[in-house]
Amino acid sequence: MADITQLLQSLITGVGVGLIYGLVGIGFCVIYNASGIVNFAQGVFVMLGGMICHALLTRLGLPLVLAAVLAVPIVAGIGMLIETLVVRPMWNRGATMFAIILATLATQIMIERITILTLGDQPRSFPEFTPGGPLKLGDIAVGYQLFWILGCGALMVGLLWLFFTRTRTGRALRACSQNREAAALLGIPVGRMLLVSFALSAALGAVAGILVTPTQVTAFNIGTPFGVNGFIAAIIGGFGSAAGALAGGVLLGVLQAAAIVLFGAGFKNVAALSTLLVVLLLFPSGIFAGFKGFKRA
Amino acid sequence: MTSPAITSTRASWRDHAGSWLPVLATLALLGVGLSSSGYIVTVLGFAAIYGVFSTGLNFFMGYTGQASFGQNAFAALGGYGSAILTAGHGMEPVLALLIATTVSVAIAFAVGYPTLRLRGHYLAMATFALGLITYEITIEWTSLTQGYMGYSGIPPIGLFGYELVTEKQMLVVLVAFALLGVWISNRLRRSRFGRALAAIAGSEPAAAALGVNVAGYKLVAFVIAAAYGSVAGSLFAHFVGFISPEVFGTSMVVLSFTMLYLGGIGTTWGPLVGAVIVSLLPEALRGLKELQDVAYCVILVAILIFAPRGLAGFAPAIKQFFNRGAAAKAE
Repeated sequence: MADITQLLQSLITGVGVGLIYGLVGIGFCVIYNASGIVNFAQGVFVMLGGMICHALLTRLGLPLVLAAVLAVPIVAGIGMLIETLVVRPMWNRGATMFAIILATLATQIMIERITILTLGDQPRSFPEFTPGGPLKLGDIAVGYQLFWILGCGALMVGLLWLFFTRTRTGRALRACSQNREAAALLGIPVGRMLLVSFALSAALGAVAGILVTPTQVTAFNIGTPFGVNGFIAAIIGGFGSAAGALAGGVLLGVLQAAAIVLFGAGFKNVAALSTLLVVLLLFPSGIFAGFKGFKRA
Repeated sequence: MTSPAITSTRASWRDHAGSWLPVLATLALLGVGLSSSGYIVTVLGFAAIYGVFSTGLNFFMGYTGQASFGQNAFAALGGYGSAILTAGHGMEPVLALLIATTVSVAIAFAVGYPTLRLRGHYLAMATFALGLITYEITIEWTSLTQGYMGYSGIPPIGLFGYELVTEKQMLVVLVAFALLGVWISNRLRRSRFGRALAAIAGSEPAAAALGVNVAGYKLVAFVIAAAYGSVAGSLFAHFVGFISPEVFGTSMVVLSFTMLYLGGIGTTWGPLVGAVIVSLLPEALRGLKELQDVAYCVILVAILIFAPRGLAGFAPAIKQFFNRGAAAKAE
């Protein structure tokens, strides 16, 4: 029987994982807002962030900080490559939305296979950013990595907010999300915004992947669960707002952690996917979207 | 340019060439299979099974213009249903196939009813989740599915104690299933039902305005696709004698979409043609070995970008070529 300490312990873990889901969810929203495209390969960026950081650490012997800082632009570059080689040509030819989704799904499998061939199929991990720990609060242990996730998560959201409100590119992206044609008429290069959104979204995913790897492992196939959970986070948040996606991610992470304590870990993914279906069917415009509409009215 | 007036009865066989040429080609392939070595027989068997699967998917995606990224769920249901009933409980394969298909149809109805209300990327993600849920269950429910290890010892298909032991005998049955599947697809497409699906694909509000029960027809198309998928899964289990969760994983989704888009989505014969070509591809890609999956994805993306209508996109050019030949003969 699960006692209260165990439950609290898992809830804290859930918050950490949930923030990661939130970051992935924001990645979905960034691309969706700029283009109306849902990138099914979103989870791949999480996987690549962890795997490339690990490769830089072990193969080149770089210090962790440098490896982490280098991995993010590399993954952002891969995101731009996907946009240029796969999404842009289809976008320009007016491909249907389902065809674009399918192409991103195929891209995910392609990247997973290439990762197996180049970086191996074994699960990998690297040490926590700060050695030592965990911090003891009574009977509850809090790993130091959680603070890194909290801190970096907050930093990312803050930076995103500055980017979207204070820079020309960020404002242009927001203009695209409101009305692409009007934005184009105002001289905003809508096509280039798609590229920017893929780079940004890939970087977000990479940060999430680097942050989460010390708390679990990374492997070529972790992309799909993170992608699906990030998508759920984005949906709960109403598919558009960064704060909503983050809140949705935390909610999802905590729910999953509770589910694991109550029902065991085996059907963790089944529980998450069922949550997705329930949320989709009952709240097709997001749980938090309801509150937003209420405030406006 | 004027087209030649066709008055003679001899021209009519040319008009129907589209319907009997593929049958002849399929039978010719069957002949090739029966007179060649074991490996080719296996490849053609897979082609027929995937042909059934893709033809079913085509009902929902091609004719109706919807999207399901989780049809592998029903192949898994069919495959595991047949495996558990025959290998686990010693049931007649044909009876097991019928029961597995019935269960799949029932589940497709229950799941499709709420899910198909979704549109766009929500529909795509929800159906994708169906496939993933099934995959996870086949791995985790080890007492029923034997998990990662897979289910082995599945008997070949047969009836009343008579089993099709050789692969060539099975190939005949598989090709018969594929042709039957395409025949049903062809008949339904030209029916009132098929025209309703086409109307939905064109414009849902317009179809609704014409009195088409949009939600109902979508659900039926989804269920038909599920039935095809389930039968394909059962056939696979009996043909190979072994199944594992990976067989019905996400790569099956990409593989079947490659077939569908290569042959021509929304056409009657396209899915089967695509299945045959894609199944023969590993022969051509043999040198690539580990890169095979990457190659499939590259091919799929290239088709999606450069020829979204697949080989069927070339059909008008071929037809024109035939017509020109006929015109030259007439002069």
